[in-house]
Amino acid sequence: MANKTAKKEHKISAFSIVNGIIFILICLFILVPIYKVVIDSLDLHTTYGMRLWPEKFGLAGYKSVFSNPTLYRPLFVSLITTISGTALGLLLCTLGGYVLIQWDMPGRNFLAGLLLFTMIFEGGMIPTYLVVNKMHLTNNLLSVIFIPAISIYNLVLMRNFFEGIPQALFEAAEIDGCSPMQIFYKIVLPLSKAALASIGLMFAVTYWNDYTNFKIYITNADLYNFQMKLRSLIMGSDLPTALSGASENTVKNAAVMVAIIPFMIIYPFCQKYFITGINMGAVKE
Amino acid sequence: MSKSKTAAGAPKKSWSDTKSKIYKYRGFYLMFLPVLIFTILFHYLPMFGIGYAFTEYHGINKPEFVGLENFRKMFAAPGFWTAFWNTLKLSIVKLILNTGAAVLISLLLNEIKNTAFKKTTQTIIYLPHFMSWVVTASVFTLILSPSGEGLVNSLLVNLGVVQKGSEIYFMGSKKWWTPIFYIVNVWKDTGWGTIIFLATLSSISPELYEAATMDGAGRWNKMRYITLPALSNTIVTVLILNLAKVMNLFESVFVMQNDAVIKQSDVLQTYIYTQTFNSGALPNYGYTTAVGIVKSLVGCVLVLVCNHLSKKTRGRGIV
Repeated sequence: MANKTAKKEHKISAFSIVNGIIFILICLFILVPIYKVVIDSLDLHTTYGMRLWPEKFGLAGYKSVFSNPTLYRPLFVSLITTISGTALGLLLCTLGGYVLIQWDMPGRNFLAGLLLFTMIFEGGMIPTYLVVNKMHLTNNLLSVIFIPAISIYNLVLMRNFFEGIPQALFEAAEIDGCSPMQIFYKIVLPLSKAALASIGLMFAVTYWNDYTNFKIYITNADLYNFQMKLRSLIMGSDLPTALSGASENTVKNAAVMVAIIPFMIIYPFCQKYFITGINMGAVKE
Repeated sequence: MSKSKTAAGAPKKSWSDTKSKIYKYRGFYLMFLPVLIFTILFHYLPMFGIGYAFTEYHGINKPEFVGLENFRKMFAAPGFWTAFWNTLKLSIVKLILNTGAAVLISLLLNEIKNTAFKKTTQTIIYLPHFMSWVVTASVFTLILSPSGEGLVNSLLVNLGVVQKGSEIYFMGSKKWWTPIFYIVNVWKDTGWGTIIFLATLSSISPELYEAATMDGAGRWNKMRYITLPALSNTIVTVLILNLAKVMNLFESVFVMQNDAVIKQSDVLQTYIYTQTFNSGALPNYGYTTAVGIVKSLVGCVLVLVCNHLSKKTRGRGIV
């Protein structure tokens, strides 16, 4: 008996070790490409090859990126669209989600159906482009702010969250004479901080990473966001002049890093909100 | 709640009742207005734009009605069919690989007892999901580069697999592009995909495992008879939800493709984009709208089929 137990423990620890090794390999698979970009952006030697540590350490790559005034503008555009888009997206989601939990409201089902139908059928890229073009919103940042803001998926997530708020709270507020708008910002919004944080972050990531909408609606290079700029940089069409010995590749790697860094900084603090968000949508029974 | 009961209990709703209710909810209609405006502008107006599919329209002339000419042209174009089959192939294989890998990783992750190690691993594997496709494509273009700087090619040269001077241009190789596309997708989204499976796993009652241990079940049997059945519902859900989105494949392909691998990589959305904005000639919006309609219709059928499957397997629809 004792022998058997010992054997079993041994087996478990062997499994754990193998499992641990598997995960170290998985993490390496994820991290090595990113790590390679980090060190190559800091290496002033012209060829990197397999090196896993900078041979000639230096910040000239980053200096070349930041000495280039044409890169400030795209960063600024990214910042503007991300902030205003996230705010607008949250506004639409919360308003829509709040109205959709008014089960007794005449026409509620019709309005819900109107929104949900857009998840099934869509006009497509070109008719949308033609509509935006008719409204004279091409080459206008409003187009790339407006279009991702009306996300029916996020709106439904928000509604799912609102549904969890006890009905009694609404009724009590109503008796106290609160208007729908007052209930909305005095009760619903303060109780939904977690949902606002996670859906807000989802919006922010969408806007910061947006490339498709810029590619379709924006042709004026003055209005490019950082993703567009990075793309043309990597494709080699407009590399900033390399400074003091930084090779072309160092500059490219440094530019990729500039796109990742803001996110890397906030990510560890926000991870739990992202996970709340995805579970809110998917595991709801 | 009580209000709806009275409404249901009444034999018929009179118009004046409804009117007073509409009056009572007037504030809500007002709050819905912005949502309605945005939905109409960016979802419904484009839907009415599908009429362009039956016209020849270059943006400068008046749309000229041509009947089904655009569809005839489309079905005769080899480029359309390449894009059509590529869309289905790339997104379905990608979906199966990503989901399979995510299930496997969550099962293994669930076995890790050391909390700190588990947390760190999770943080790392979620990371690539937040990198944009532009950044992802840039990272892989750099490490797969055929020049001396590319990590993978230098590794292959050092191992003697590849001769120096004949390095592989992975992103531009007909043979390599598709596998690379799948690998990059697994790299980017598998970790994120595990979240939903981990949530399901953590909801399995530990008592079940304890009881199984008492009955002498080993690790394998516990997985076979407890864990996998519990996960199967979630796996079906994830597959169904994502199957509905397969026709929308765009950005990931767009940033990874190049002229050398158009046949391997072109999908409907990239076909529409290049035909409209990159064709060099004056675009025929009518033609690309028609391609878009075929794309949307196939997508719509997929959603409805998935919705039906979803209702059957888990008792509620996806929309």
